[in-house]
Amino acid sequence: MTKHDVVGVEELEAGACKITTIEGKSIGVYYNGNEYYAIRNVCPHQQVELCKGKFTGTTLESKPHEYIYGREGEILTCPWHGWEFDVKTGKALVDPDRYRVKVYDVSIENNRVLVHMD
Amino acid sequence: MEASTTKKASKFNHGIIDCDVHQGVKSYDDLKPYMPRVWWDRLKAHNATLPFLMFRPIPLERNDAAPGNGLPSGSDPEFAKVDLLDRYNIERAILTGNLLSISAHNNPDYAAALASAFNDYTMDTWIPSDERWLGSIVVATQDPLLAAKEIDRLGSHPRVVQVLLTSASREPYGQRRYYPIYEAAARNNLVIGIHGGGEGDGINPSTTAAGYPTTNFERHNILAIHHMSQLNSIVCEGVFERFPTLKVAFIEGGLAWLPHLMWRMDKNFRAMRNEVPWLKYKPSEYILKHVRLTTQPIEEPDNKELVQMFQLMHAEKTVMFSTDYPHWDNDTPLFVLNKLPEEMRRRVAYENAAEMYQLQERGLLAGGVAK
Repeated sequence: MTKHDVVGVEELEAGACKITTIEGKSIGVYYNGNEYYAIRNVCPHQQVELCKGKFTGTTLESKPHEYIYGREGEILTCPWHGWEFDVKTGKALVDPDRYRVKVYDVSIENNRVLVHMD
Repeated sequence: MEASTTKKASKFNHGIIDCDVHQGVKSYDDLKPYMPRVWWDRLKAHNATLPFLMFRPIPLERNDAAPGNGLPSGSDPEFAKVDLLDRYNIERAILTGNLLSISAHNNPDYAAALASAFNDYTMDTWIPSDERWLGSIVVATQDPLLAAKEIDRLGSHPRVVQVLLTSASREPYGQRRYYPIYEAAARNNLVIGIHGGGEGDGINPSTTAAGYPTTNFERHNILAIHHMSQLNSIVCEGVFERFPTLKVAFIEGGLAWLPHLMWRMDKNFRAMRNEVPWLKYKPSEYILKHVRLTTQPIEEPDNKELVQMFQLMHAEKTVMFSTDYPHWDNDTPLFVLNKLPEEMRRRVAYENAAEMYQLQERGLLAGGVAK
C-alpha cells in the first residue's frame, strides 16, 4: 500500500473536491466538512468524469409523496445523467450491487490529506 | 477527459456521424442583429416567453461541457469542436439548436422571427467555424406558411441538410395545414427532423396523453408518445404518398417503441385500410423507406436485449447515432456503439446517416462511406 500526498487540509474547503492523478488514475479528493473521501473520477455508467458532478444530499426512503431530505454532503451525482453515488462506499443508490465506483482509504497526517492505493 | 477515453475512441476504424448536437447562443442579446427592433425587448424575457413548467432536478445543459468564462454549455463552437468532435473522432455533426419550445409560443410572428434570427446566428457563427458542422433550419410550426418561407430563405445553403420541427405540436404533423412545410422541404431536398421539445408547454397539448405529470422523471419516461403520435399521423395521413421524396428523422425520442407501433399499424391496416385508401403499402413499409430514428437517449436494457431490439426495428436501415451533446442525458459513442455487432455498428454510426442526409451526393463527407 502506498500513501499519496494530495492536498493540505487547509486548502480543501468544506464541499470542495480536488481532482488529481495518482498512479495514472484520475481521483477526486472530497471534503464534506467532517470527513475526507477519495473517489475514482470515472462514472461506471458512461465513463465520464464523475467528480465534476455535484456533492449534495438526497431524498431518503419515504412513503409516496412524503419528502425527507438527508445525507447532506454524502452523495455524489454524476454531471451527465445524474446517477447518485454514496461517497463513503462508492455504491450507486440504484442498483448498488451492479454499479459502484472505486473509493480509496484516506488519512490525515501532518495536516496533509493522503490517499491510500493498493 | 482522461487519455484513456481518447484511446478508446480511436477503436472505430470508420467515422461517426452525430445526428443531434445542440448549439446555442452565448446570450439571447446576440440575436438582436438578426431580429426586427420590435421584438428586442422580449429577448430578455426569453424564459418567460418560452415557458417550461417542469422543474428539472438535473439541469438541461451539462455543467462539465461549459466552455468557461460563465458561458452556457453549447455556446462556443471552438470549445465544442475539441470537447465533442475531436474527442470522439466525429466526422460530421448535425446541429439541432436550442429553440426546442419555439412552437409552443403563443405569438406566431415572434416565434417565426426568433427562429429566423437563431438560424442566421447559426449560419454566421457555427457553420463557418468548422466544416464538420452541418445545419438544420429550425422553424416555428404555428404558421406553416411562414415556416415554408424560412425554409426557402436558407434551404439552398450547401451545409444545411434538415428542417427541424419539435415533437410537440398543436395538431399532429400528418394534417394538411403542415403541407407548406413539407413542400418547402421537398423543394429544397431537405430532411424533416422531428426533435423532442415543447411538450405540454405554452399552446401545446399536455405532456402526457393522460394529463400533466408531477415530476420530470415521469415526464421524461413518457416523452416518446409524442414521437409515436407524429409518426402515426404522418404515415396514416399519407404524407409520404403526397411527398414521395420526403424523409423524416425522429430525433431524441427513443427507439424501442418502433416495433410496437409498426406491428400495431400493420395489423390495423388489414382491418381498416378502407379509411386510408391512399396508402399503397403497409405502414411499416413507409416507415422503413422514409423514416429514421436517432439513438440518444437509448433505452438501456442488457446488451443482448439491445441487439434484439435493434433487429426488431431493422436498425441496419433505421437507426442513426446521436450524442445530444451537451445535454445532461447525452450518450458517448463508446457507450452505445460498443454494444453493437460490427456490421450493425457501422450502419448505425455512419452509413445510415450518410444515406439519409445524402452527404456523399452533397460532397459533405471527408472520408467517404465507411471503409
